[in-house]
Amino acid sequence: MSSKASITVLRAREEVERLWRDSKYRSDSIEKADAAVRFVDAPGDRGTEIHVDVQKSAPGGKLGEAVQKVLGTEPLAKVKDDLRRFKQLVETGVIVRSEGVPEGELLERKRGQRAAQPLEPSELNEVGV
Amino acid sequence: MRANVWSGRNQVQVENVSDPKILNDRDAIVKISSTAICGSDLHLYDGYVPKMKRGDILGHEFMGEIVETGKRVSNLQVGDRVVVPFPIACGDCWACKHELYSVCENTNPNSGLAEKFFGHATAGIFGYSHLTGGYAGGQAEYARVPFADVGPIKVEDDLTDEQVLFLSDIFPTGYFGADLCDIRGGEVIAVFGAGAVGQFAIASAVMMGAERVIAIDQYDYRLQMALNKARATDIIDFAKDPDIVEQLKELTGGRGPDAVIDAVGMEAAHGHGAIHAIDRAKQATRSESDRPHALRDAILACRPGGIVSVIGVYGGLMDKFPSGAFMNKGLQLRAGQCHVQKYLKPLYDHIKNGDIDPSFVVTHRLELGMAPDGFETFKHKQDECVKVVLKP
Amino acid sequence: MPFPPRPIDSTLHGVTDYCAGGTLLTIFPRLASIEGTESARQIRTAGAIHGGYSAITDYPLGIVKLIPFKAHLALDAVGALALAVTPFASGQWKKGAKHWVPHVALCLFELSALLMTDPTGAGDFHGDIEAVRAANMEDPHRKIYDGAPAVRPAVAV
Repeated sequence: MSSKASITVLRAREEVERLWRDSKYRSDSIEKADAAVRFVDAPGDRGTEIHVDVQKSAPGGKLGEAVQKVLGTEPLAKVKDDLRRFKQLVETGVIVRSEGVPEGELLERKRGQRAAQPLEPSELNEVGV
Repeated sequence: MRANVWSGRNQVQVENVSDPKILNDRDAIVKISSTAICGSDLHLYDGYVPKMKRGDILGHEFMGEIVETGKRVSNLQVGDRVVVPFPIACGDCWACKHELYSVCENTNPNSGLAEKFFGHATAGIFGYSHLTGGYAGGQAEYARVPFADVGPIKVEDDLTDEQVLFLSDIFPTGYFGADLCDIRGGEVIAVFGAGAVGQFAIASAVMMGAERVIAIDQYDYRLQMALNKARATDIIDFAKDPDIVEQLKELTGGRGPDAVIDAVGMEAAHGHGAIHAIDRAKQATRSESDRPHALRDAILACRPGGIVSVIGVYGGLMDKFPSGAFMNKGLQLRAGQCHVQKYLKPLYDHIKNGDIDPSFVVTHRLELGMAPDGFETFKHKQDECVKVVLKP
Repeated sequence: MPFPPRPIDSTLHGVTDYCAGGTLLTIFPRLASIEGTESARQIRTAGAIHGGYSAITDYPLGIVKLIPFKAHLALDAVGALALAVTPFASGQWKKGAKHWVPHVALCLFELSALLMTDPTGAGDFHGDIEAVRAANMEDPHRKIYDGAPAVRPAVAV
């Protein structure tokens, strides 16, 4: 069971490191997971690689991991979600939302997504719009 | 508003749903004036694409008038008439910066899901299952367009909807298919599939200076359209003779076409002999998602050292891919969902100059409420149907 | 999916037809330990007949498309019931369970497969073509056959 995740952001390393510490971009789950985070220059014009290693294994060993996978609370998957959010915010300035996934990419939303149709006005508040 | 939603296999329904709202600063809302049914919608309709939910609004080819814009959309004003490209692209990631818009790294909020199927996520697409993000589609009265500052092209000339609507998908897709063939003038190009995308692939190859363009299909009326309208030079009707590879050899003096475009994809209709029955049975039991007949024949027919360009949509895995033929004949296999945004301006200019009138493919224009019958007519090739445009 | 759910389309039904027909004809009697009895002969005959009329059914896996799919389904039902009744009609059921249980089991299997089969055939056309023709604001035939070509050659070289 891999404990590592990585993503590449199209910005220079100094800027990525600075934004990573900024409260607007900070990732909750990666902080909580007490993970090792490294920033590496990507080759050529590709920007900066962010490598996260969630060293601690899940409580409960292999069974605990499986249960977490089903419940959608797997720490590494949440880390990946947060990495993608960080990349979207830094590169595009917005969290990418769809009608099926209006909160943006969330592990908890992998199952039981709403249908791909516009939200009711009441739902807009719930998803932070 | 009314919208055409997926409601199960072989079933769509026009229902009342909420009007779309701005969710992001870079969104715009479009009031749709024309939209269309695409051949790739049929894969959703036939139940071959996973992660569809009852109630998903379909449709990825649409155009209309801007009625609202997010705070950061400055290039578009309310009242602008626009055509919206089907891949949703952010314009800011490495892929977008290299004009690879259909594999934008940021626009699929279900990328974890997509990664399981493809290894990586690709761009979000309007109305094309939760695998491509779960975006509401454009077979409706209104649609929310994310990243409106990157995608849509303004139509400021005196052109009808049907002349420009297909900039959203099928004209650039056909053009992309021909572009991948590296046509410099004088080539023989074979196009598998004379549906609407095939028609544009043929027309594009003609525009690029191919000397002979061979249209391949089993429906005579589509082959006639290819000859009369898209300027195909030859046709192969495989309903009359199923051995396409042999007929292509004959038409090319034994050489094979210089490049072959697969505008058919995963629901390839033909195939003769026992291998066809096996493929159909496997697809029915969902143990093989993609029927390989068109791609197989394309690889076998292409001349050694040639190019096979794949723009027909495939979704999963296929069996009996002719890897030996592919490798030993030194073929190039090029593919992709079209990077529409890259082609919008040059193709718009061709339309404006009168080099092509894309409305030639429209055989059916129906009111949005007729979408279910439209889908059935299109799927079963009834009434000489090639392309259905829906008017909300 | 409308109730009762019918996920078996005509192609999948064809797959089970040939597999079942083939199995009944060959190894089923041995697997059910009734090899050599009249039951074995009856079941083999049923398998052969089933495979036979499947091959002449008008559906995607039919070889000669002669009899309509709905007629095929009717034959399936009648054949299944006939197979179930055979041991009782001939009196062999008195010889013990294995002289009638396989027949009844096969009948139940066939009937449940029928209940889950979509009788409209591999996505039969269920649109209203007259409504489409009346509502169409375009003339398909004219679009295909009339008028000049829609593209100029060699303008994007």
